[in-house]
Amino acid sequence: MAKVQVLNVAVLDNPSPFGNPFQFEVTFECMEDLPEDLEWKIIYVGSAESEEHDQTLDSVLVGPVPAGRHMFVFQADAPNTALIPESDAVGVTVVLITCTYRGQEFIRIGYYVNNEYTDTELRENPPLKPDYGQLQRNILASNPRVTRFHINWEGCAEKMEDSENVDPAPNSMLPPSCTPGKAPPLGLLPDNSMDCL
Amino acid sequence: MKLLKPSWVNHNGKPIFSVDIHPDGTKFATGGQGEDSGKVVIWNMAPVLREEDERNENIPKLLCQMDNHLACVNCVRWSNNGLYLASGGDDKLVMVWKRAAFIGPSTVFGSSSKLANVEQWRCVMILRNHTGDVMDVAWSPHDVWLASCSVDNTIVIWNARKFPEIVMTLKGHTGLVKGLTWDPVGKYIASQADDRSLKVWRTMDWQLETNITKPFSECGGTTHVLRLSWSPDGQYLVSAHAMNNSGPTAQIIERDGWKTNMDFVGHRKAVTVVKFNPKIFKKKQKNGSTPKPSCPYCCCAVGSKDRSLSVWLTSLKRPLVVIHDLFDKSIMDITWTLNGLGLLVCSMDGTVAFLDFSQDELGDPLNEEEKNAIHQNIYGKSLAITMESQLSSTIIENPEMLKYQQERQGNQNPNEAQGIGPENQTPKLTNVLNGESLEDIRKNLLKKQVETRTADGRRRITPLCIAQLDTADFLPALFNSVPILPGSSASTQLTPQISSDSSTANSLGLRPSHDPTTTSPNKTAEDNKDSGTAAVNSIGMKSNLLLTSASKIEPMKALDSRFTERSKAMPGVTSVPLTIGITPLDRVKDSSSVKEPKGKDETSSDSEDKIMVKSIAKRKGEMEGAEVVEKRKKGRPRKDAKTMPFPQTPVEPSRLTTPIAVLKLPTPSIQKSFSTQVSTDGVTYLEVENEVSVVSGSRLSQLKWSREGREWDVLLPSRIIIAAGSSNVVAVACEDRTLSVFTACGRRLIPSIILPVPMSALHCSGHFVMALTASAMLSVWDVQKQTALVKNESLNPILSGTDATVSQSFLTQQGVAVVSLSNGKTYCFNSSLETWNLIADKQDSLVQCTDFRNCVSAQDALGSMGPLALTQGRNLSAGRLASRLSSTPHHLQQGMTLAFLEKQLSSALILLSASEYRHWLLIYARFLVNEVEVNERSICQRGNLTGDLTTEKLSRPESFTISTCRQI
Repeated sequence: MAKVQVLNVAVLDNPSPFGNPFQFEVTFECMEDLPEDLEWKIIYVGSAESEEHDQTLDSVLVGPVPAGRHMFVFQADAPNTALIPESDAVGVTVVLITCTYRGQEFIRIGYYVNNEYTDTELRENPPLKPDYGQLQRNILASNPRVTRFHINWEGCAEKMEDSENVDPAPNSMLPPSCTPGKAPPLGLLPDNSMDCL
Repeated sequence: MKLLKPSWVNHNGKPIFSVDIHPDGTKFATGGQGEDSGKVVIWNMAPVLREEDERNENIPKLLCQMDNHLACVNCVRWSNNGLYLASGGDDKLVMVWKRAAFIGPSTVFGSSSKLANVEQWRCVMILRNHTGDVMDVAWSPHDVWLASCSVDNTIVIWNARKFPEIVMTLKGHTGLVKGLTWDPVGKYIASQADDRSLKVWRTMDWQLETNITKPFSECGGTTHVLRLSWSPDGQYLVSAHAMNNSGPTAQIIERDGWKTNMDFVGHRKAVTVVKFNPKIFKKKQKNGSTPKPSCPYCCCAVGSKDRSLSVWLTSLKRPLVVIHDLFDKSIMDITWTLNGLGLLVCSMDGTVAFLDFSQDELGDPLNEEEKNAIHQNIYGKSLAITMESQLSSTIIENPEMLKYQQERQGNQNPNEAQGIGPENQTPKLTNVLNGESLEDIRKNLLKKQVETRTADGRRRITPLCIAQLDTADFLPALFNSVPILPGSSASTQLTPQISSDSSTANSLGLRPSHDPTTTSPNKTAEDNKDSGTAAVNSIGMKSNLLLTSASKIEPMKALDSRFTERSKAMPGVTSVPLTIGITPLDRVKDSSSVKEPKGKDETSSDSEDKIMVKSIAKRKGEMEGAEVVEKRKKGRPRKDAKTMPFPQTPVEPSRLTTPIAVLKLPTPSIQKSFSTQVSTDGVTYLEVENEVSVVSGSRLSQLKWSREGREWDVLLPSRIIIAAGSSNVVAVACEDRTLSVFTACGRRLIPSIILPVPMSALHCSGHFVMALTASAMLSVWDVQKQTALVKNESLNPILSGTDATVSQSFLTQQGVAVVSLSNGKTYCFNSSLETWNLIADKQDSLVQCTDFRNCVSAQDALGSMGPLALTQGRNLSAGRLASRLSSTPHHLQQGMTLAFLEKQLSSALILLSASEYRHWLLIYARFLVNEVEVNERSICQRGNLTGDLTTEKLSRPESFTISTCRQI
């Protein structure tokens, strides 16, 4: 059972120009004092095709964490556009927030991100080379996909023997460690989610 | 009979495997499959019971849902006291849940359902041991044990008072174990498994009592569960799925000889669950007719795979009622309300049904006393049928009871001592928002939050604590260590302190909601912060839940054992009204007036008293850190003093009567022979043998020294009490109050030193000898230079005014005497100033509020070794509470950290501990550089100043120059 429960993640500054930093306000609750810091990461999925294009935007340590309810804002710079395949710049992709404790990931929160031009002209005739200055990033904040992993909270990275019995959540995004191509995160995009954008 | 299917009780169409009604009848839990995990849901009972409540929008139906189980939940069971819920599931885990009073409703983040949790139940313990799905869990009578059974063919008995301790793993089944039931008398536990057997195990030795196979020989392993049940009178055990003439039955097994002559017949498919009504009934007396003595009977519900439910009375040959087609799928679990008139049934089809009987249909339920009378008639006095209040007065008839009684006393007292009443038991949230609303905080969070860089350059954010959670749960540390926040003071000291400076302007501040069962006597006590009354609450509540009239004596007993039934029977005891409502501290002052009844108690000493004394004395040893208040509350301090004379009696007069009193420390008893290891470099042993030979009337004792094959011995004319040594000297204290000092080669250094009183503790280190006498006088001699460093200094300055005793004393390599007290404080004697200096305090709030972790580099993290670390403990609790204060301005926390670090520096200095001084100075300098923007000069000034001191005073000089500081 997780000692840390994420209660809420609020997406701040959304929608925003593509170059703005990401801001997530995370509220979490801890059952007991944690002797070690939590490590949070923001990962930007550059391309659904391959995790090669995943960028870790930033990672922070969060601590000390005593028992109780806590909040912090995790801000990270926008992705490096040079690392994003041009064909994937516009359209829907994913941003992931992960949290690890003692080197073990126990929660992964995924958001669909829609990058599109605000200008109708550009939208209809997108330039071949994406104009990042004109792109707007819209995070589908209302529809987070949360995957929780069973970890060993007492010891370090040694794997829990029963970690494999985590049900592959049908409505969650697979961690990049899953075989790429077989089920890219976007393949799980529910039909109705586009309507919300 | 009324029948209701509350459609709102569902797991979104997923199967419900288990249902259990809370002992107070206000709520019930269901367990089963969730969306992608196991699910436990707690529901409100009122909308099930009353239609108007069901229609009332303001009355919540769902109270809490927990998705923490990773896979399907097979069983949920409330503890008998209602404080805990245990759940077991396909994820091989047993989880124990407890209610937390909380800041407000919350949802499960990311889950599709938008339903909020009205009550907060959180997992306080995960029990991992099973290697397969957990199928059933069961609390023993009085919640002493929790049993769980699994498809791994085992049953695990957990110590419910010390989770996650395992009492025993019962092995013997050769198939999936699918059901458990405790004997209501507490002598047995029965299990049923797919291996076509039902086994009864003894709780005395956890061995198999009987193995019943005959009725099950035709059974196939086709049911999901096999929930068997024991009748409330203990006479009958009824199995789930059994076969008789190829028809499915529920086998009745008689306790007497485990005979299997009867069964419940009629279901068309296998019986999955049997559940006895907790009440014993007697025939309803008709108005006007003369009351005829009728035989009491039990009532039992049977659920089956054939989707039907039958309810039986043991007085009838045929079932009272059979309900077919109640569900679309197999019945999975049944639970009765505590009053015996209501029944909830759940099914694999994901629905539940509620049956409401009238007394006309079932009969008059016997009250607890009558039920106990039946038990006593059948079993005599026994562990489980004895009500808690009677426990102390019950004649102990077997070892099991004695153990239980001692356990009860041992457990109850630390609880009340630390004020863990039900109020404190529910984790508390204290809101520390500085009077700001959550919205205000959120607006500025990014700007306000503290972000630092760690030594390796990584970003580190200190999260803003928006609500505290004090989990006073099963943490064993709470009971046996010096508490960081000793129970009651956590609420009485810390909370007001924080909330007063934050002025708690917003509405989020909360007091834990009171359980509806807490009744008026408790309410009056609530405003009183006395931890003693908190104990009253806890017991009071328990008695409300579990016990009847006789238990009303219990709260008083808990408050002070002077108020036992016996002393209550003495009309002369005047202190009964006097003590109630007085805070513990007042009571200490009042102790002279309390003495009189105590004296009376002593005169009427009987066997019961002896037991109490014994258990108190035993506890005394465990709880050396007890405070004045606690000792008072334990009651009968006189007797206490009798058994443990040394630390207690002398201290009391010092506090109460004379300002300077004769302190007395315990002296070791004389042993025939003993040995100690005195030095680690080259394993050196000292062996003492008293009375080796008697020469002309005088008894000779021998001291033998040995190191790696070399040895010497010396004879002394008196018996040796203590021996100590270092690599340089050996010192022994004898019965005739002499102290002899030898070199490591066995040469006598000085003629015997005559001591005024017997020795309490003796230490050697280097060329130094430290002696602590029974009159609490300290002396330290440098035997090489033949000088006295400390001359007969009294411990009175540090011992007076407290009830603490010396828990540890030692001598550093540099000849500094260090004395640790049982209250967590450690002092050393500064021979140059001739003062006692406080060098460590386990309860120092500065320690707890510091946060310098990012100034500790990897090699420092191993910790510094030395006398300071020794007194403060390896796991220095620094920073435990750091971010509890994070809503206070960051500079305040910085200030506290700085103050703490300075304290460490000066302590290391006074202990002349060079390595520790260096350790803390490094951290201090890093902290200054990282956190505080000071100009370099000030660091260096300090560095230089202290560096000079170091050079002068320490034997291993460490000079700190400006360049060192720059390197940091």
